[in-house]
Amino acid sequence: MTPAGLIISLVLIVLSVLAPAVSGSLRADTGEAYPGVTVSLKPDTVLVGDRVFLSVRVSHRESETVAIEGIDSVSVNPSVLIGRKESSSKPLPGAGSERFDYELAVFGSGRQAVPPFTVVLRDGAGAVTKRVPFRSANSVYIKALTDSTMHDLRPIRPPQRPSMPLSVLFPFLLSVFGVALLVLLLLFILKRSVRKSAERVDPGQVAQRKLRKLGSRLSGGMPPHECYEELSNIMRAYLENHYRIRALEAVTQEIERDLKKLGVSGLENIMNLLRQADLVKFADSRPDLDESRQSLQKAEEVVRTSHLEKREQMQ
Amino acid sequence: MQHAVELEALGEQIASASRFIEKAQEQLSRKIIGQHDVVQRIFIALLVNGHILLEGVPGLAKTLIIRTFAAAMNLKFQRIQFTPDMLPADLIGTMIYNPKDMEFYPRKGPVFANVILADEINRSPAKVQSALLEAMQEHQVTIGSQTFPLQEPFLVLATQNPVEHEGTYILPEAQVDRFMMKVLVDYPSYEEELEIMLQSATTGPDKAVSAVVQPEDIFRARELIDRIYVDQRVQRYIVDLVFASRKPAQYGMASLESMIEYGASPRASIFMLLASKAHAFLQRRAYITPEDVKAIAYDTLRHRIRPGYEAEADNIQSDDIIRQILQHVQVP
Repeated sequence: MTPAGLIISLVLIVLSVLAPAVSGSLRADTGEAYPGVTVSLKPDTVLVGDRVFLSVRVSHRESETVAIEGIDSVSVNPSVLIGRKESSSKPLPGAGSERFDYELAVFGSGRQAVPPFTVVLRDGAGAVTKRVPFRSANSVYIKALTDSTMHDLRPIRPPQRPSMPLSVLFPFLLSVFGVALLVLLLLFILKRSVRKSAERVDPGQVAQRKLRKLGSRLSGGMPPHECYEELSNIMRAYLENHYRIRALEAVTQEIERDLKKLGVSGLENIMNLLRQADLVKFADSRPDLDESRQSLQKAEEVVRTSHLEKREQMQ
Repeated sequence: MQHAVELEALGEQIASASRFIEKAQEQLSRKIIGQHDVVQRIFIALLVNGHILLEGVPGLAKTLIIRTFAAAMNLKFQRIQFTPDMLPADLIGTMIYNPKDMEFYPRKGPVFANVILADEINRSPAKVQSALLEAMQEHQVTIGSQTFPLQEPFLVLATQNPVEHEGTYILPEAQVDRFMMKVLVDYPSYEEELEIMLQSATTGPDKAVSAVVQPEDIFRARELIDRIYVDQRVQRYIVDLVFASRKPAQYGMASLESMIEYGASPRASIFMLLASKAHAFLQRRAYITPEDVKAIAYDTLRHRIRPGYEAEADNIQSDDIIRQILQHVQVP
């Protein structure tokens, strides 16, 4: 290689190594891309009210100072400037780099561009040497919290059509309703007939039947004192059902008071029977067989008389 | 109808031994108009060694009834007005120092009497109430190191005012339980009020009441009451009533389950039986019927059944609960 060729190749190597710095300084000199401005915005999608971080990096000559105008609370409306931070560095001799970090709370909805700003360069004396308006292509997508502005809403589904056609469904429903109505009607009729049949059971007849049974048991060897307990129960049940008074949970005195209020005829006979039964039950009295039979006869008489009286009253 | 020979004889003895009741009632009726139930309950308590808690507004002649009762029964009467500053010594007595012989002597308190009227018992602190309730239970009092038996018969009638609760010490349930009965003293009827007014609105001396009963009459009556026949059916009826207050659902009263905080204690069964016996004695009977049990059921149960929050919210009193129990438990 000749000395001239060696020099040329050395110059080319030096040039290739220093190319970026030189090209920067060249751009600054030419004024076409000076100052170098790099803008970044993170994140690119936020919810309304969330914060975004805007970073502006300006490359300039060492002798100059840089300021950004236009990014303040008023200009970035509807966003709000929360905070800002500046830092500078010297990447190469003779060159300077200034970084401006902004924290913004974003409002509104949809895609919002970074607000336009102006890069102002000043010399050592503070005089403005250059003003470069800048509009970044960076933008942020703001998602609204309300449905009205949401773009990712699912489309409203059309109402589901019944699997069974209405022409079939309607008669089906009607028949179910009809069956239910029929069941209710049957239940009502059944209940009414049960009540009526219960009313038809005459307490007098029931008492007489029970008294006859008790008489036959007495003849069959039942101890007379045991007969009185049952006699008392039969009479109380009869009085309760016949006169509609509380007799099973009432003492003899209370029954007497209630029957007196109703003006029951033959009260004395009823009370004698109950008192006799009380003596057997509570005073350890021991009636003989004849006394027991007489009491049963009296009880049947009381039931028959009151039963006839009621029938006459009803007629 | 052949009665058990023993019961017939007992019935005759009761008829003879209960004559003093009529005499005493005659004397009482000279000064007391109405309040028959209260007088009957006092007789019952005296006959079976029980004590009574009287509740009623002031001016219903509670003190007069008791004072007259004691006078007619020839019993020593003491009225003790319970106050917040009272001490147990004011009730039972204390040891007094005699400087002459340099020794302590017991001075007996007003509790040493036959009939005690503990007026407004809930005005005194718990320690005084306890002193009286101990005396009621034990029938004896200890002063210093000496124990003194109380005079027999010994009957305590404590009063409570149901309207003024401010500054009172409500008797704990455990202590209320020691009273055989809680009797509510009600207003007299219109006619009774008229008679009371005409009889009392005079400046002359009060009608004198004669002592027509001797303590021996009471002791004899107590012996007979112990022999009164109680059939198993009635015994079971009493236990059924008490159990129904504890487990009403078992007796077909599920709605009462939430209304009762706690039911009657076993003391209720004991006192119900005793009071029923005394009631039968007053009716000159040698046996108890469910009528006797029902007659004393309210007074022996009302302070032993505590209505729950639900009952209080619905303004249901223990008397309402007892009424339901009596209406649902089948009479033998």
